[in-house]
Amino acid sequence: MLPKISRESLLEQCRRMFVIRHFEESLVPLHDQGVFGGHYHLYIGQEATGVPAISCLRADDYLFTTHRNHGHLLARGAEPKKLFAEILGRADGLNKGKGGSFHSVAPALGFLHSSGVVAGIIPLSTGTAYAAKAQKNGRITVCLFGDGSLEEGAAPEAFNLASLYKLPVLFLCENNGKYGAGRAAAAAQSSTMAAYPLTDLPKAYKIPAQQIDGMDAGLVHATISDAVEKIRRGEGPQFIEAQTVRYPGSETNWPTVPRPTDTALAWDVGSVPEKAREWYRSCDPLLIFIRELVEAKQATQEEVAGIERQVKTDIAAAVEFAVNSPYPKPQEAERDFFAQS
Amino acid sequence: MRELAYYEAKFEALDEIMAADQRVHLINGTFLSLSPHRHVFQNLKQKYGERIVAPPISELGFCGLATGAAMAGLRPIVDLSTGSFIYEAWPQVANEAANAFSMSGGQTRVPVVFHLFHGLRGGGAAQHSGSPQGMLWNCPGLEIAIPSSPRDVKGLLKSAVASDNPTIFVDHTRLLDIRGEVPENDKPIPFGVADIKRTGRDVTVVATSYTVQVALGAAATLAQEGIEVEVVDPRTLVPFDLATILKSVEKTHRVVIADETHQSCGVAAEIAARISESGFDKLTAPIRRVSTLDVPVPYSPPLEAHIGPSEERISNAVRATLA
Amino acid sequence: MVSRNDKTSELLEVFRRMWLIRAFEEKASLLYAERQIAGLLHLSIGQEAVAVGACSLLRKNDYVFGAHRSHGHAIACGADIDKLMAELAGRATGYCGGKGGSMHIVAKETGFVTATGVVGGTIPLALGAAFAAKERKNGQLAVVFFGDGAGQAGAFHESLNIASLWKLPAIFVCENNGYAEFTPLSAHTKVERLAQHAETYGIVASTVDGNDLFAVRQVMARAIKKCRNNKGPVFVECLTHRMRGHYEGDPAKYRELSQLAEWKKQDPIVRVERALRKKKLATSQELEAIEAEARALVEKAAEFALTSPLPAAEEIVRDVMT
Repeated sequence: MLPKISRESLLEQCRRMFVIRHFEESLVPLHDQGVFGGHYHLYIGQEATGVPAISCLRADDYLFTTHRNHGHLLARGAEPKKLFAEILGRADGLNKGKGGSFHSVAPALGFLHSSGVVAGIIPLSTGTAYAAKAQKNGRITVCLFGDGSLEEGAAPEAFNLASLYKLPVLFLCENNGKYGAGRAAAAAQSSTMAAYPLTDLPKAYKIPAQQIDGMDAGLVHATISDAVEKIRRGEGPQFIEAQTVRYPGSETNWPTVPRPTDTALAWDVGSVPEKAREWYRSCDPLLIFIRELVEAKQATQEEVAGIERQVKTDIAAAVEFAVNSPYPKPQEAERDFFAQS
Repeated sequence: MRELAYYEAKFEALDEIMAADQRVHLINGTFLSLSPHRHVFQNLKQKYGERIVAPPISELGFCGLATGAAMAGLRPIVDLSTGSFIYEAWPQVANEAANAFSMSGGQTRVPVVFHLFHGLRGGGAAQHSGSPQGMLWNCPGLEIAIPSSPRDVKGLLKSAVASDNPTIFVDHTRLLDIRGEVPENDKPIPFGVADIKRTGRDVTVVATSYTVQVALGAAATLAQEGIEVEVVDPRTLVPFDLATILKSVEKTHRVVIADETHQSCGVAAEIAARISESGFDKLTAPIRRVSTLDVPVPYSPPLEAHIGPSEERISNAVRATLA
Repeated sequence: MVSRNDKTSELLEVFRRMWLIRAFEEKASLLYAERQIAGLLHLSIGQEAVAVGACSLLRKNDYVFGAHRSHGHAIACGADIDKLMAELAGRATGYCGGKGGSMHIVAKETGFVTATGVVGGTIPLALGAAFAAKERKNGQLAVVFFGDGAGQAGAFHESLNIASLWKLPAIFVCENNGYAEFTPLSAHTKVERLAQHAETYGIVASTVDGNDLFAVRQVMARAIKKCRNNKGPVFVECLTHRMRGHYEGDPAKYRELSQLAEWKKQDPIVRVERALRKKKLATSQELEAIEAEARALVEKAAEFALTSPLPAAEEIVRDVMT
């Protein structure tokens, strides 16, 4: 279902989902051409979690994200050209090229730190929440992480602290392994996580927890708004597991794009290679969102295609900007690892 | 001048810091280890109870909490108590806190202080006697302060909290009862400024933490033999004041480095490398290291005493440089 | 309750072990006050029923891992108290030649693999022993003792997850004495029973009165059977109380005196004594003789320890690596 928000906001959410999608799809050829190195992770398939969830936040709230951070930053309004430049290691990047894909941050948007260490941010998120509570500034922290993080001891340690000190933090676990390996048996989450459902882990600490369909933008929006409100009222931490189906392009070691997205795919997936077709037909949250927009007569197919055309143009310009941005001077490597007071 | 015990100076600092800055929170511990003076911590608790928390035994969790709180504008001081316990929190200290400012291209500041007691403490055995500062010096992004006197602990703690960088505050339980001059209204001691704890013309002994006190003992003995030792205390490892040490070497031409980290890749090894790189022409004898022997710290008292940088080992090393 | 399966001779042996632990630790406390023992000394007085109840049912080739409060576990496994006391006193004749001390005791020949100075430190190690045991398919298992404070350590959770996933023959014995170092459990977590965490990971868990030797033995017997039949792991939470502070010299101001008096009534040794007498399995004289014998053995152990030589300095470089 669609989020219960104005038409204007719906179209803006649609636009942001397109930004994420085309941003990520543009990265793959750049990497394959050797324009940037290192590992990277796509947010494709999770747009209907990130975009509506992040839209529920206040401008001054804190967010923490992981190695799969591009979508979160873009959903929050980071400039694609600066994010591209960062991933390409350029001087104009969000972090002047020192962070790269793993560590892109945007403190002005509330992203203080992204960690490439699985579960690295979960203890940190209790810290900003602790600070906000001490400073009584009403800010909350949203900690975005994947299901694999729950296998690290850092996660339960942080849940315990958040529960004990009633910290204003939302643990938003994006489980992109719905129908994934090992799941069918239902006795365990996966071959590497014995707990099932995952929400049992936070519940043991008396943290209210629920499992939702992360491909349903309306459900995500409603659930997160409600959780955020409770947290802001001082009720302590909340845990939400948003389930999505892994993007077929993310199943390989290095990301691929089985079929570049365009609006028309929402109604006809015939052009998608057969192996990936089912995902595009029933699990692609962006295509679901588009169909719902049109069915609910919030936009015509042509209007949606128009939004997409503009996004594609913007993304192409952003790539152009990043590719032409200079690399930082080698001496920069010796700067900025200590703050000067 | 006014004289205070080390622990009193430390608590005066904590008290003044907490009174002056509402952003300072104490996460865990007593800052006095299990010393008999633990009661003084109660005074702080009464005054600033709201800003003092006693978390569960979750070093990984609460060091992350403190780091995140620092990112969000607080100035937490975390007490890891026993230095070895920082290994439980390694991912958050070495991989998050140390890197955040650089990875963000100079945007995310992490003004957190990780306080710990390092070193041989009497029966700590292998798991409660660690001196992790050598390993931490290998993590760019962390400042490391390592006081040796009542005046220094107060002044350095103030600078540690004022710093916008993650700082490791390396303390030693054997210092707690040492007495020394601490002027009232003393200024914070800036990082990166070494202190000459005793002047002498014959041999420079660079020492850190409690080993400064041991070295001063050795210097007194050696003075009776007519050997005048200059004891230089760098006071912070990061930033490191090489200039003061080189100036001393210019005078003495001989160096002994006494420090409680294990010898290999330890603090003494790094200091020796820096002196020989920049001051080789000033030396007339090889630099000697007096470090903790490269063995896990044994429990039994005579074994523990044997491996540490004792007065005797320091004196022998000094004599050897003159031979 | 004494069960039908308990043989009298076995029960008396178990009772003897409990007294041996109690007498050993009371003596260690005195020696610590006399500064014959250095460092920190953590005593398990009041928790003997857990150690003895659990270990009395094990085979010699099972693996037992302790924590920092583990003299009792080693003695329950059958450790030589002479060597144990010598280790506490840092002597060359100690179990580790004086290199380990109270927190790092080892009594390999009894199956007691190691203690640790790190809260939760041995839990992953026990996982490894269980893994090795499972590979051997000979019914061996691993038991790890830890306190409620370890429940907040990440390693504890990682271990529960892996043990459950791989069905390892491991028995997690949590001695919930209500205090993690100096603070009550409620200040450390909102979780009342640590067994809840085990259940989260799909591990069979139970909570028992840890001061009731017979209850501990009953639960442990079931757990051991499960593990030997390759149906592990099992989690056993024993609610108990340490009658001393966190370490010797801890003024323990955080506890109520009345609480302590209540727990003294629940003294596990007193309870076994009562049960044995009630069932007429032993006379008062016999029971008193057991205590006296334990105290005499401990005196002898202390004598042995204090007359043993301290290790020589050359020992330092030995045994750093194989």
